[in-house]
Amino acid sequence: MMDICATYQRKLEDDQISPPLAAILTLTELCASSTAGTMFELVKALNEGADALNQSSTNAISLNAGCELFIAFVTLFPHDSASFSDLKMELVKQGETYVRQALTYRQKIGELAVDFIKDDSVILTHSYSRVVMETLLLAHRSKRISVFVTEARPRGLGVKTAEALTAAGIPCTVILDSAVAYAIEKVDFVLVGSEAVVESGGLINAIGSLNIAIIAKAANKPFYALAESYKFHRLFPLSQYDLPSHNPRILSFPTPGEMAQAAENQMSSASPGSRSASRALSSITQEEIAKNNPDVDYTRPDLISLVFSELGSLTPSGVSQYLVGMFAG
Amino acid sequence: MSAQSDSTSSTNAMADPTTSNEPSASTSSSQPSSTQPSQKTMTKAERRELQEKQRAAKLAQKQTGDTKPKAKPKPARPTEATSSFGADASRSHPKDASASTTVVEGVTSKSRSLRIFSHFGLPKHGPGAKGDIHPSIIRLALQFSEFRICGANARCIATLTAFKTVIQDYTTPPNNTLSRHLMSHLSPQITHLVSARPMSVTMGNAIRQLKLEISGSDIDMPEQDAKDLLCQKIDDYIRDRIIIADEVIQDLACKKIKDGDIILTYARSSVVEKVLLSAYKQGKRFSVIVVDSRPLLEGKALLQALTSAPPVSWTLSNDSLLPPPPPIPCTYALLPALPSLISEATTVILGAHSLHSNGAVFSRAGTALVAMMANQHSVPVLVCCETYKFSEGVMLDGFGKNELAPSHLFQTSPQAPNLEILNPLYDLTPPSCITAVVTEVGLIPPSSISSIPMALGRISL
Repeated sequence: MMDICATYQRKLEDDQISPPLAAILTLTELCASSTAGTMFELVKALNEGADALNQSSTNAISLNAGCELFIAFVTLFPHDSASFSDLKMELVKQGETYVRQALTYRQKIGELAVDFIKDDSVILTHSYSRVVMETLLLAHRSKRISVFVTEARPRGLGVKTAEALTAAGIPCTVILDSAVAYAIEKVDFVLVGSEAVVESGGLINAIGSLNIAIIAKAANKPFYALAESYKFHRLFPLSQYDLPSHNPRILSFPTPGEMAQAAENQMSSASPGSRSASRALSSITQEEIAKNNPDVDYTRPDLISLVFSELGSLTPSGVSQYLVGMFAG
Repeated sequence: MSAQSDSTSSTNAMADPTTSNEPSASTSSSQPSSTQPSQKTMTKAERRELQEKQRAAKLAQKQTGDTKPKAKPKPARPTEATSSFGADASRSHPKDASASTTVVEGVTSKSRSLRIFSHFGLPKHGPGAKGDIHPSIIRLALQFSEFRICGANARCIATLTAFKTVIQDYTTPPNNTLSRHLMSHLSPQITHLVSARPMSVTMGNAIRQLKLEISGSDIDMPEQDAKDLLCQKIDDYIRDRIIIADEVIQDLACKKIKDGDIILTYARSSVVEKVLLSAYKQGKRFSVIVVDSRPLLEGKALLQALTSAPPVSWTLSNDSLLPPPPPIPCTYALLPALPSLISEATTVILGAHSLHSNGAVFSRAGTALVAMMANQHSVPVLVCCETYKFSEGVMLDGFGKNELAPSHLFQTSPQAPNLEILNPLYDLTPPSCITAVVTEVGLIPPSSISSIPMALGRISL
């Protein structure tokens, strides 16, 4: 039995491979090394593998999308091979071909989205996304664009985007997450990547996307999302608290015991004297804040103008129709 | 709106010139159509009846037309509305007598003051069973008209079960085949059921499927085998499209109920009841607000089911006896109390009578109000609905097609002369007020409802 989590981490090391693709590749390898003699056993093994991956990951939403896609593919694959080992080999081959194909999707999405970018546009983007980078770099070749990128705390990936864009010669400014409403007036449209696109046509993305979407809606600016079709996920969150990534720790209030301890810390740090205020403030660290905060949020479909995927530019209801057609049958 | 006094017909005509045109234009044509909402849903017998009526009406018109040649072009001039109305009204009497049977007259005299709602379905109290009606159908029709069997699922299952008996008791007459003759035997049975209470969408869908099965049955098959096969098909339909579908919906909807949730529901839906009970059985601790409204007060039955259901026994887990879980905490309120309760709710779960392809939900009157209010307070609204309740048409409001609760069954207020109570049974919830529809194929946003038949590999449902 292979170490499925190690394989997954190894696959993720490749900069081009996103979590759903890494999950598909991992399950493909599991398929190849599996000793299963029947379809039932194979699907069972794959489901167990997917569960193991799910357990090991802190944010399993996009990973689950990949696992779900591959398992659905395996169960629906026509069984016309001579023997079961042939079928398994065929499945492995198909999985690898899919991933190879999927790597070209970003290029396709970029080409599709570039038509929506006018010359001299000012674009607001959030955090770091490979497909957004690809699109912006492609747009830069033919159009003059400038980009605002949010800092995207707690992970601060916006800085990574800014560095890469500046290196490519695109004028780029990092703005605070709290400065989006200030900046939105100058912005022509918002362009974000995605962690997963769900059945309602909504979007799961790095925390802060919902804020941006609401602000964009209030300012009547288009909000575009970019998502490869392997990120389409059969999930219907009714609210933020209904997301699979939610756990009771997120945004919990401290228990009386913890509060007493925090107060004690503050007292002890305050006793020396005049610098108490700054000391007390620094007693809550960034890590502590991040610990109790969500990583992703859910953007409702009514806030999204269009979702660009390699299948075309879809409205949110178009996404949900595609998902219903794919999995409901 | 609900009560329109109608002391004299001429005052009515004065108030609204458009109604003055109505008698001359419609006494002959619209009265039959008021009892039969659309040609398509009519059976052959009904259509023939209609045709005969129209013929008789035409004849009557010719006769009166000879004596009063000026009456015809009058409706075009609104100034003469009152006088023409009077003339038409006097003229319409012999026509009515010759054209319509006593059934139609009974309905029109009753719903006269509710003229704009005259197209709403009301049970027709026909002169007993006409033709060769099976006893089980007669009993079912009585149960329907007395609202003993109520609810889309229950009515569909009861109808199909009764049809099974009818099919088993049927023998093909000589020189005929089952696939061709059985349907003509079933048609009067269906007509009889419809005369007891207008047909539900679920019954319509099931009967359409049954017709398809009958016309597709093999001619060479022995009659008993063919009948058994049809009964088997009916059982399969009930199992696949209703019972199993409900189980899947229970699973899916239960996942959306979490500990500490406050679920709000309206009236009583069999699926919602099952969802709440199975969530409770799974050990989830939540509370329920049952909102209810006159005249049916179906929420009481739901309240009864929720509060009396829990298993009152100690359970053994990890070698220790656990006390029985407390019953589901329930709140019962009437519709006017909704605004003060809706902000408490975390999720609204509703049932449906039928679901239209634009995502609009046709359900018990009052549902739209609850869904709109929830939408206004950003409370997610889930509608539990099996896919066999889908209707291909599009409805824009609850006025186009509806059903009236018979006032003799649901007395809501003291009887007063010139007071007619209007109790529509259903209303239409627009898709914008619904977060998701829970079907057996998953949670679907209302905007994607139209793609489900395609996904199921069917052209129609």
